Amino acid sequence: MGLEVVFLGLLVLIVVSALGAVLVRGYITSVVVLSVFSVLTTVSFAFMHAVDVAMAEAAIGAGLMTAIFVTAIDRIRGQR
Amino acid sequence: MKMGHAAAAIIALASSAAVLTLTLVFAVTGGEAPQLAGAMTSGSVAASGSVNVVTTILLDFRSLDTLGEASVIFASVACVGVLFRGSRRIGTEPGLGVLVRRSVGYLSALFLLFPLYIVAHGHLSPGGGFQGGVSLAVLLILLTVAYGSRPMATAVDPSRLHMTESLSALGFLMAGFVGVLQGTSFLANAAAGFPRGVPGSLLSGGLIPVLNAIIGVKVASGLGSIFFDFQSERGE
Amino acid sequence: MLQQAMYVAAAIVFGIGLYGVLSRRDMVKICVSLSVMESSLIMILVALAYRPDAAAPIIVDGVATYVDPLPHALALTAIVIGAGVLSVALALTVIVHRAHGTSNIAVVFRRGR
Repeated sequence: MGLEVVFLGLLVLIVVSALGAVLVRGYITSVVVLSVFSVLTTVSFAFMHAVDVAMAEAAIGAGLMTAIFVTAIDRIRGQR
Repeated sequence: MKMGHAAAAIIALASSAAVLTLTLVFAVTGGEAPQLAGAMTSGSVAASGSVNVVTTILLDFRSLDTLGEASVIFASVACVGVLFRGSRRIGTEPGLGVLVRRSVGYLSALFLLFPLYIVAHGHLSPGGGFQGGVSLAVLLILLTVAYGSRPMATAVDPSRLHMTESLSALGFLMAGFVGVLQGTSFLANAAAGFPRGVPGSLLSGGLIPVLNAIIGVKVASGLGSIFFDFQSERGE
Repeated sequence: MLQQAMYVAAAIVFGIGLYGVLSRRDMVKICVSLSVMESSLIMILVALAYRPDAAAPIIVDGVATYVDPLPHALALTAIVIGAGVLSVALALTVIVHRAHGTSNIAVVFRRGR
C-alpha cells in the first residue's frame, strides 16, 4: 500500500516536471528540468521491473542528451 | 509551425485522450502480442544460453532490428558530420582546475571499468551493448569537460573515432555472415554452431557477447563523434 | 492499478509534449518538447509490459512469472533512435541559427517567404 502511494506521487512529479520542461523560460533551465524528467522516468521504469530500459534511459536521457543539449545551446549563444 | 496557444492546447488534449483510449483498448483486447512473452521467456535459455531475455531478444531473436538500429545511429552520425562539415576545428572547452583534473584522472579507471563490465555481462544481468556504449561516450564527455578540448583532441583523434565506428558496423555484418557461411540464416546464433555454454557463466550465449561488444564500441564511438562534432563546430 | 495510473500519466505527458511542439516558437524548446513526447511513449511501452507480482526478465531459478520482455526490447531501440534523431535536430538548429542569426521559427519562416 505504501509503495503504491509513492508510485502515484512519482507519476504526479513526472507530469509536473514535463510541464516545467515545456513552459519555463530560458534554455538552460528547460534542459535541466528535462534531465530531472528523465531521472524520474528512470525511477518509474525501475518500479515497473523494466531494468534494461531504466539503465538505457538513465545513461541516454539524463546523461548524454543533456550534454548534447548544453553543447548545442553553447554554440547558439556564444557563451554559456 | 506556430499556432495559437488555444488551438495547440485543444489539439494536445484531443490527442492525449486518443492515446489513452487506444492504449486501454489495446491493453484489453491485446491480440497475439502478449502471448509471445511466454514463448520468448521460456525459450531464451534453450535457444541461446543467455539468461537476460531482453538481450536475447535484441541480439538473437530480433537481431535484424538491432542491425537497423545500428544503421540509424550510423546515419545520424553521418548527418551531423555532414551538417558541420565546413567548420571542423579543435573545440573551445577550457578545462577545469587542478583539483578536478587530478580527481577525474584517478577515478577514470573506475569510470572505464563500469561500462566494460556492463557490456561484458550483458547476457547475465541488466545491461548490454547499448547501455555500456552510451556510458563510455559519457566518459569521453567527462574527460573533455575536465581536461579541455585541446588535450582530448590529441588523445582521441576524431577521424579515428569515425573509422572505429565504421569498422564496428562492418564487424557486425561479418559476425552475421558466419551464419550464412554455415548454411543457415543471417545472424544465426546456435544454428550456426556458436557454443551455448553454461547459462549464467560469462562464456555463454554463443554470438551474443561478441555482438554486445561490437555494439558497445559502435555506440560509444558514434555518440562520441557526435559530441566532438558539436564541440568543434565554429560556424565560420 | 499501477498500469492504469501509468497509462494516464503517459497520455497526459504526451499531450504536454505535443502542446510544446505546436506552440513554442524557439527551436530548442521544440526539441525539448519532442524529447518529452518520446519519453511518454516509452512509458506506455513499459506499462504495457508489466504483469502484477512478476519479476524482472532475468531468468533465475525459482521464479515462475516474468514481465513481458518484448516491449522492453522495442523501448530500448526507441530510446537509442530518439537520441540519434534529437542529435540531428539540434545540429539543424545550430545550422539555422548560424544562417539566420536567430532560432525563432516565426522569423525564419517570414524570411523564407
